[in-house]
Amino acid sequence: MRSIWAVATNTVKQALRMKIAAVFIVMLIIMLPVMGVSMTGDGTPKGRLQTFVSYGLSLTNLLLCLLTIIITIYTLTSDIKQRQIYTVITKPIRRYQLLFGKLLGVVLLNTALLALFSSIIYLITVYTPKYLKVTESELSRLKSRYSQALDAELSRVGASYSEALEAKLLQGSAYLFKLKTDVLKLEADLNQINNEFFTARAALVPPEVDVTKEVLDAYEKRKRDGQLPPDVRRSKFIDELTKRKQLEKRAAVVGEQLVWEFNNVKVLGPDETLFIRYKYDVSMSPSDSQVYSMWEVGDSRQVPPEVSYFPRKDPVRTFRELEFSSNLIADDGYLSIKFLNVTLNNTTVMFPPDGLEVLYKADTFGVNFIRVVLLILIRLIFLASLSLLASTFLSFPVAILLSLCVLVTAIFSAFCLESFDYLGENLSWFYHYTVRPIISLLPQFDKYSPAKYLVPGRLFSWSLLAKVAGLMIFVKSLLLLLLALLIFRFREIAKIII
Amino acid sequence: MEYAVETFSLTKIFSDWWGRDKVYAVDDLNLQVHYNEVFGLLGPNGSGKTTTLKLLLGLLYPTKGKAAVLGGDGSDPKISARIGFLPEESYLYRYLNARETLDFYGRLFGLPPKVRKLRIEALLDMVGLKAVANRPVGTFSKGMARRIGLAQALINDPELLILDEPTTGLDPIGTRQIKDLILELAKRGKTILLSSHLLADVEDVCDRISILYGGKIQAEGQVRELLLQSDKMQITTDTLSDNAIERIKKLIKDEHADCEVISPMEKLETFFIKTVADAQQQEQTTSGAVSTTGISDFLVAKAAKENILDKLVSAPVSRQTAPESGKTKQVVPVETTEPKPDGRLLRELTKPTKPERPKPVTRERKIKTQPVESEVPKPEQIRKSILDRLTDGSSPRNDDSEQTDKSEDKKE
Repeated sequence: MRSIWAVATNTVKQALRMKIAAVFIVMLIIMLPVMGVSMTGDGTPKGRLQTFVSYGLSLTNLLLCLLTIIITIYTLTSDIKQRQIYTVITKPIRRYQLLFGKLLGVVLLNTALLALFSSIIYLITVYTPKYLKVTESELSRLKSRYSQALDAELSRVGASYSEALEAKLLQGSAYLFKLKTDVLKLEADLNQINNEFFTARAALVPPEVDVTKEVLDAYEKRKRDGQLPPDVRRSKFIDELTKRKQLEKRAAVVGEQLVWEFNNVKVLGPDETLFIRYKYDVSMSPSDSQVYSMWEVGDSRQVPPEVSYFPRKDPVRTFRELEFSSNLIADDGYLSIKFLNVTLNNTTVMFPPDGLEVLYKADTFGVNFIRVVLLILIRLIFLASLSLLASTFLSFPVAILLSLCVLVTAIFSAFCLESFDYLGENLSWFYHYTVRPIISLLPQFDKYSPAKYLVPGRLFSWSLLAKVAGLMIFVKSLLLLLLALLIFRFREIAKIII
Repeated sequence: MEYAVETFSLTKIFSDWWGRDKVYAVDDLNLQVHYNEVFGLLGPNGSGKTTTLKLLLGLLYPTKGKAAVLGGDGSDPKISARIGFLPEESYLYRYLNARETLDFYGRLFGLPPKVRKLRIEALLDMVGLKAVANRPVGTFSKGMARRIGLAQALINDPELLILDEPTTGLDPIGTRQIKDLILELAKRGKTILLSSHLLADVEDVCDRISILYGGKIQAEGQVRELLLQSDKMQITTDTLSDNAIERIKKLIKDEHADCEVISPMEKLETFFIKTVADAQQQEQTTSGAVSTTGISDFLVAKAAKENILDKLVSAPVSRQTAPESGKTKQVVPVETTEPKPDGRLLRELTKPTKPERPKPVTRERKIKTQPVESEVPKPEQIRKSILDRLTDGSSPRNDDSEQTDKSEDKKE
């Protein structure tokens, strides 16, 4: 253990003193605050925060990934090339201890750097609302200014407060009007960042309706009727039918309603706000691109149903959110949501596959942020293991190239898998048993990306983190390390090829 | 366990990229090194010396045959903990300084911090690098790197010391020191296996040698036996009169033998060392790396049946290190200054001097401490050493000159 530690500290010293890490550190330390000030997103405070967190974390993630690859490969290949390893490996240290020492050093350095940079990002994120003056105290200050101004106006007119009078006064005084709009805007902004950004919301997604039986029935019926198109394969035809049937399940013609039911809905506190996040598709676009609807949320099993009604008017093809209180959820966690396509529309309304989910606050932003940072650490550990494997049998440039290739495919894994699937269609048997397993062994960084969770304020749960860690560290990294050990164990350190 | 190192038909074949056998670097080698013996592997370049050592240490795997080191496998941690290895070039981490380098290797041996610290200081002292201990090893000259390499090989107080070309890159004094060290270690029961093509070095220290060529042993045996010309005799006397010589010649002629009478030549090495030592005595300025003459002193002072280092560790620090620290410090300025003409010193020397003015020894020292470049150690370090020396009174000559110097200044 002592020798592992000696190698680890030496590796950290190497990375720091050879100024490899310094370049990355300086770059990030300068860039992160600059990004915090200069990135404005879509102009709203929420947009600004989202842009900063997304770009800040992505940049940190990318640079640390590169740093990990470079340091890990450098530390081992340079030892072999410059032959310091001759004096190290002839000391009472086993080869696996040397490899683990190197790995430990790289992981420690990365953990420290990641902790540093993510705290910078976190501090800037938390400070930004204060910088933008989007805070509760600012809101109450504005509110009191407004009520003072209103009181002054009221005493000038010599009447007591009424809503109608307030409206009249607002029309009469530009100053008062401006104050009122400021209060409303700040209130909206504050709500937005608190409900949609500084939170960790879990999502309930309605399961895909099982349509297999219906599809098979329909297929058999067509077959009997002789309505099958002659040149289409069965599987393809069934796929087609399934898609169509599922779309039918998510579509409501005028006057019809759609129902979703959820069980075991659990929220943090007794009086939480929940959100239905939805998006419409329409068969025929209305002239003003708006869809009218009536939502019914609550426990519809009761007679009479204990539900609330929400009449809505929303633009099509944009995500909208509908807030409701957790009181509407039944005691046993049952929740039903009904959507009625009202007769005001004259189009069929459809929900795309990811078009509806119920969001509720499941954790705080800070804890969620920590988990997402841990996700980055998991990636770095994987990359370190990969680079270590590469450097046990390749020279510096080749090992770097290999690791970068894996990094790129990991970042665009969805695209890579899709394109390989497409290319491999014609040689399906060969492809399925050789290339595909190898490709799916590669990590999929885009599947669980930090920005994907933090930008919409989504929960990245401990269980999901554990799942990713289990797969990436305890399966993939461990496999890579075992292979690295095997290669390094039998490698002749001073081998010469003539 | 009869031999410290033993090989059985050890063979190493290097192959080309296609796996075809190309070079027989070591060919059916049977080598036996006894315990407590200084054994030399000789041979021209490419004769398989280094390859043999690498095979012993597990840096290479034999194609055929077997090698036993200290009764086991050289790459087994239990065995390698008892081996010290100095590779053909000092491959060091350039970014570590001398002390950190030794600390790193000490930690690889799992030495506890206290032992490590004491051993490092003792070794730095011994190889004469204490003054530059905080400088990155990457800035060291080849000879200095070699010294650190040697210190690193000794940090575990090894039973078996494997030295690959130990004297390359060292000046004659450094070479002498290493040779003295080897002899000293051998005296204390260590086994030393070294490879070299510098015959003079091998001749001086080795008990037995093997001459390799083409990976095979061409000759092996006791150095004395191999070199002894049993058909010749040599008589060394003090200077004789011509008359006496004539008489001896005649006597020999009567025995039917030829004889030649000349004054024996001194070895160049001895002459060189004597010259430099004289110069050091006069405390002339030097820019090269003239190092401690203290190696043997250091070791002799600690010579004991057990290993010196541990004795050093167990003993109270102050008592043990005090005398040596004086010794190294004496060398400090000489060891560290680089060949850089010191303007002030030159002006001082070229100035028409007053004849009665004594040679300002201490002043020169002071001048040297002016850091002209980064490689010179911190001034206070040297000043401190001078102070120490002055307060010790260990070097009264300096004391005197310091005083005369001051009185001179007053007079001026």
